[in-house]
Formats: sequence, structure tokens, C-alpha cells
Amino acid sequence: MTDMAANVGERLAQTFVELADTLVAGYDLMEFLQTLTDRCVELLEVDAAGLLLADSRGSLQLVAASTEQARIAELFQIQNDEGPCLDCYRTGQAVIISDIRAAGATARWPRFAAAAQEVGFAGVHAIPMRLRDQVIGTLNLFRTAPDGLDPAVARAARALVDVATIGILQERAVHQQELVATQLQVALNSRVMIEQAKGILAERLSTTPDEAFVLLRRYARNHNHPLTQLAGDVIRGTAAIVSGIPAPARPGRRRKPGGSGG
Amino acid sequence: MASGRTVRVWEWIAAAHEGDGPVSVAAVCRAAVRMLGVDGASVTAMSGMMAGEPLCASDELSAQLDDLQFTTGEGAGPEDFRFGSPVLIPDLESCGARWPGFVPGAIAAGARAIFALPLQAGAIRVGVLSLYRATPGSLSPAELTDATVLADIALQLVLDATAGISGQPDYRPLAGLSDSRAEVYQATGMISVQLEVTLEEALVRLRAHAFATSAPVADVAASVVSRQLRFDPDPEPAPYA
Repeated sequence: MTDMAANVGERLAQTFVELADTLVAGYDLMEFLQTLTDRCVELLEVDAAGLLLADSRGSLQLVAASTEQARIAELFQIQNDEGPCLDCYRTGQAVIISDIRAAGATARWPRFAAAAQEVGFAGVHAIPMRLRDQVIGTLNLFRTAPDGLDPAVARAARALVDVATIGILQERAVHQQELVATQLQVALNSRVMIEQAKGILAERLSTTPDEAFVLLRRYARNHNHPLTQLAGDVIRGTAAIVSGIPAPARPGRRRKPGGSGG
Repeated sequence: MASGRTVRVWEWIAAAHEGDGPVSVAAVCRAAVRMLGVDGASVTAMSGMMAGEPLCASDELSAQLDDLQFTTGEGAGPEDFRFGSPVLIPDLESCGARWPGFVPGAIAAGARAIFALPLQAGAIRVGVLSLYRATPGSLSPAELTDATVLADIALQLVLDATAGISGQPDYRPLAGLSDSRAEVYQATGMISVQLEVTLEEALVRLRAHAFATSAPVADVAASVVSRQLRFDPDPEPAPYA
């Protein structure tokens, strides 16, 4: 596996450069985290990645996912309060499962094991995002094949997680509990704004929120526009992303068939 | 799905509730003073930038601090609202240069530490929960967590008061509280387009619908996102038959 390791090392270096660029110029945390999950998939020979952050109430929130399957697997754990990513957060230790169908895993997480198989995942590699004794979240890698990660790849994953943790907390702020709490709240609130913008866009364009997100990200990238700011523009109705698209039909005086009001 | 902490904080608020009216942000302020080791608490509505309208204050000094922040446009509350992040100042004396108009007056009035938490969900911002202490000192991590939960519940009380549902018997904001799921916010965005209203009003309508149909907010949101449920504007009276 040395070829693969060397390859990973080189591409990892490129990714660090890319992530560092994201951190300095027009820093947008949501874009950074989404990029990170995408790069994990490309670099680490995994099939999907998801990132959970703890809010100041100590509940985990999904902030980025590379695929719909990863999103489902993460949300399932949050909603059912069961799964390797939650255990990883609670213990601050990595949780590594090569095959979720193994007896140990199904006994420990019966509901999650079933749900993971349903979306096609066999392996889960949950890595804590830790700063000294504080765990702020977890980065989770999913594999469809029931075999473990190559040790070089696992080390690369660990390095990416450390970069992400620093990205979130920004080095200069780490010793101040007030700033950590503040930054996490801002990060999670940005995620909420993006969800609201996805809804607005989905309704305007008659797409799903997931399709709307793809559109948002592509536009943000092509126009070098931070994702959170673009979400704000969509919410305020000033984003050019919706211009050129026919305005939604004005609600007339007729009630639409099947309408069900609030 | 409400977390144990949320349930516990709601119990504090319920215990601090006085009178027969709906549970309001006044109970949130009283609960904050009783349980967080702070000397005063207030909730200020901010419907627009710097439009400070105090909703409640636990004591005279809290009200005075709100006034001072409003008149100077400085301090943790206005800053919090502008940037949408908590502003935590364990020692006001360190902020004299940051807020030259606010700090001397606040210290003279008897405040030494001030913490402001936004009542917000994404782009929805309705106000600020402000806490102060007469002695310098940080909130502990546990106190800060509880303060965040109090601010969350205050947000819901403000939204649900708008819809008139917070006065209903058996009202508990918990049903929606833990539903910080993506679908709730996506549905809020969709409803705002369907009804041509602000996100804030869309969220109010979503929660009111959930309450009226005794359905979890998350379930209603999922129906909206999957386009099984659509919010249409109330039919306006036809100009002629």
C-alpha cells in the first residue's frame, strides 16, 4: 500500500493548502467544512463523510455531509441517540468499525446497524474533534466495503480532523472559553441560515432542498462568494442566483387545490 | 426528543412562572436569576437594527442597563444583535475602550459582568437575553449551556406568543425545541415563499400548525419538505362574487 500512502500524502498536502486558503481569505466555516467532507471522500478511500458539531447545549448537530446517505446515517444517530459517532463524541475516543454486521456492532448499536446497512454502509470510522480535554464534534467516515482503513489513511484522516478543529476554533481563540462557545454558536447558526436558504430556493425553483444546496454551492464557488453570505442574500432576496429564473407565480385570489393552510 | 437539560430548564421556567397568564419571557428572566448565579436578567426585543424594546427585566438595574445600551447603541446586547453571536464579558472594566459610552454608566450603576445571548434561529433574530453580575466573573460552561437553553426557550415563547399558542393549556415549547433538524429550517424557508412572509412569520405559522394539529414540528416540517403539505395564503375576500 506504499504507493497509495505516497499518493495520499501528496494529495493531503494539496488539501492542506486548499483548506488553509479557505481559512485566510473570506473565511466561511460552512464552506470549509463542506470542502473538508468532500476531500475526505476523495483522499481517504471512503465512500462518504459527515461532520457533527456539538452545540452549546451539548447536543450534536449535523453540519456537513458529503452524500445523502451520510446525512441519513448521521441524522439517524442524532434522532435515535445511538451510534458510533455519538459514542465517539461522548468518550473522546475514535470508534472504528470494520463491519457493522459483526455481532459486536449489532449488539452495541442494534438500530444504527440496521439503518447503516439500509443505506449501504458497512464500515464506520468516527474520529473525535478534540482540543485538549474538550470534544467539539466528530468527523465520520463511511465505507460500503467491510474492511478497515489503511493505517496511513487513518493517520491522514486524523490530520484532517485536526485541521478542521483548528479551522473551527481558530488558533488564537482556543484558550478563551468565551470565544470557543461563541464561535461554535455562530457556526451552528450559519448552518441554520443555509437550511433556510435551501428551503427558499427549493420552493422558488421547485426542486428538493438537496438540489438547492448543490446549486448554492456551485454558485458560491463560481462567484467566489462565501456560502453563508450567499445564504443571507438568498434570504434577503438579493442573491443573483434567483435572478434570471422566473419569479414564482404570485399567489392569486384562488386557493390552490389540495391547499392546506397553517 | 427534548434533552434532559432542556426539560430541566423548562421546569425552572415553569416554577418561576407567576399568575394565570401564559408563560412569558418574564419567567425566563426570573429563572435565569434564580438558577444561573446572575444578579439580573432581561429580554429585549429587537425587531430591527437597534430597535430596542424591553420585554421584561428582572430588576431595576437590568432595565437601566437595557436603557443605557439602547441610548448609547453600545454594549453586549446591541453587539450581539448586530453580529448574531453571544457576547460574553466577564469583566466590564476590560471593555472601556470598546464601549466608551456604555461601560462607565454600567459600572456606575453596579454591573461588572454582562452576557448577551441572541434569541435567534438562522436569519431569524427576535431579540437578546441579557444577564449581568454585580461582580466580575465568567459563566461556568454549565451555566453558559443553561443560559443558551433559556435563550432558546425565550425565542420560542416570543414566537409562540405571536401566534397566541403560548397561552393554551398544556403549552410546552419543548415539542419544537429539540427539533433543530434541518427540515424544520428548510420548511421555514419554503413556507416563507409560499406565504410571501418573513422567515420569522413562516416559523410562527409552522409551529402554530403543529400545535393546532397536535403533531410534532418535525413531522409537519417533513410534510412540507416532501410537498405533502403546502401553506397557502388565507383566501382574501373576493372583490365581487
